[in-house]
Amino acid sequence: MAICTAALVLADSRFPGGGHAHSGGIEEVAARGMLRDERDLRSFLVGRLLSAGLVAAVFAAAATDLTRDWTELDVEFDARTPSPAQRAASRAQGRGTLRAGRAAWPSPALDKLVAEVPAPHHAVTVGALIGAAGGTPADAAHCAGYLAVSGPASAAVRLLGLDPFAVNAVVAGLAPELAAVTELSERGHALPAGELPAPSSPALDLFAESHERIHRQEVRLFVS
Amino acid sequence: MKASARLVVEADPAGRTTVRELASASPLTLLPQRGRVRRAGEPAVVHLVSSATAPLGGDDLHLSVLVGPGAALRLSGVAASLALPGHRGEPSRYTVHIEVAEGGAVQYLPEPTVITARAWHSARLTVNLAATARVRCREVLVLGRSGERAGRFTGESHVLRDGTALLRQRIEIGDEELFRSAAYLAGRRVLATETVVWGADPENALSSDWWSLQPMARGGSLATALAEDAVAAEQGLRAALTGHPGLAAQAPD
Repeated sequence: MAICTAALVLADSRFPGGGHAHSGGIEEVAARGMLRDERDLRSFLVGRLLSAGLVAAVFAAAATDLTRDWTELDVEFDARTPSPAQRAASRAQGRGTLRAGRAAWPSPALDKLVAEVPAPHHAVTVGALIGAAGGTPADAAHCAGYLAVSGPASAAVRLLGLDPFAVNAVVAGLAPELAAVTELSERGHALPAGELPAPSSPALDLFAESHERIHRQEVRLFVS
Repeated sequence: MKASARLVVEADPAGRTTVRELASASPLTLLPQRGRVRRAGEPAVVHLVSSATAPLGGDDLHLSVLVGPGAALRLSGVAASLALPGHRGEPSRYTVHIEVAEGGAVQYLPEPTVITARAWHSARLTVNLAATARVRCREVLVLGRSGERAGRFTGESHVLRDGTALLRQRIEIGDEELFRSAAYLAGRRVLATETVVWGADPENALSSDWWSLQPMARGGSLATALAEDAVAAEQGLRAALTGHPGLAAQAPD
């Protein structure tokens, strides 16, 4: 299977989509002393990947179908994201990704997406860009699933000074879980939007709001 | 055991809610509170009594609740349910479907569900609200009796208003790594949530360390608490809901 270039570009930390500003919950968990070493990091990332990561992956896979009803997809992603802080973080990253992505893969389908949903969610944006570039639902799911853990992992290095080699190994070690998420997403991507999987992440939602609350009171390194 | 229970409440022309239909089906028993005339707008109160050994592996239980235009219902549990394994390790299933018409209001407040060791249980709740209907829906999950690891559980909730999804969530219990993960349940044994579509939602989320009240994108709010025991979880929920403007403006009976 050929590797999709668009998926590589979007997953590259040098992609100028603004993802570096978000820790995906790591900063709050680290501030609470609940994340101290690489083992804690793996545990956090597995939980994140199989919940919020799976939602992102399956919505990215669904969004490669450029004939989707974008408003419906947006409503259904919102329904799976009860945390306003996470919705805001997702839309902010979606906006940044779309700005850079439209320059790379201009397409009338993307114009239609923006016309219907001016600030689409990150996962939907990633999927639509990969779809516009000719990628498959599996490419998009793989990319979105990877992004759900790679950003938080690098945030852990910056926040806790964890060994970058060890953290990189943790991310690489998530390959089986990432493959499972990709496969689930590939299998489910063509479902009507309302029937797409909806795994929740109660602790992540809760910590996202704590982060937001504390962020307003004191300086934090990451937006979310 | 396969069982299907059904409850229908309607408002009379004066706005008083009456129980129109009440069909218990063992092990789901519906007990209406009787003995006095309700004022207009006051909810009919029905208690949901499930037998001590339900849901048991192999059970397929269904509860359907219909709230007519302008009617009000409070459906409360009386004791915690224990999800127990069947003799041959078969799964149990419990589906609850709630339909609320225009101007109707329902409070669905069951007691905690304890997922005992070796249980294999799934629950599915769907709530369909008319545009002006209101709902409070609570779910408290306890992962195992004290000193016990939880069995397997999948819980799904779908809340729609006027055909639009407000909330869709699925929780998976039974995987130790997920349970421990700070992104999932952070090792806390009790997860309590309450979905509230009841007048105004808070403008911003409210939160403390272990509870939050989150206004959802298309209306309604979700209160969440994670705790070590059911009492603390319910306290967390209460603290979160204190900040809900809709509930404060129009306190449910």
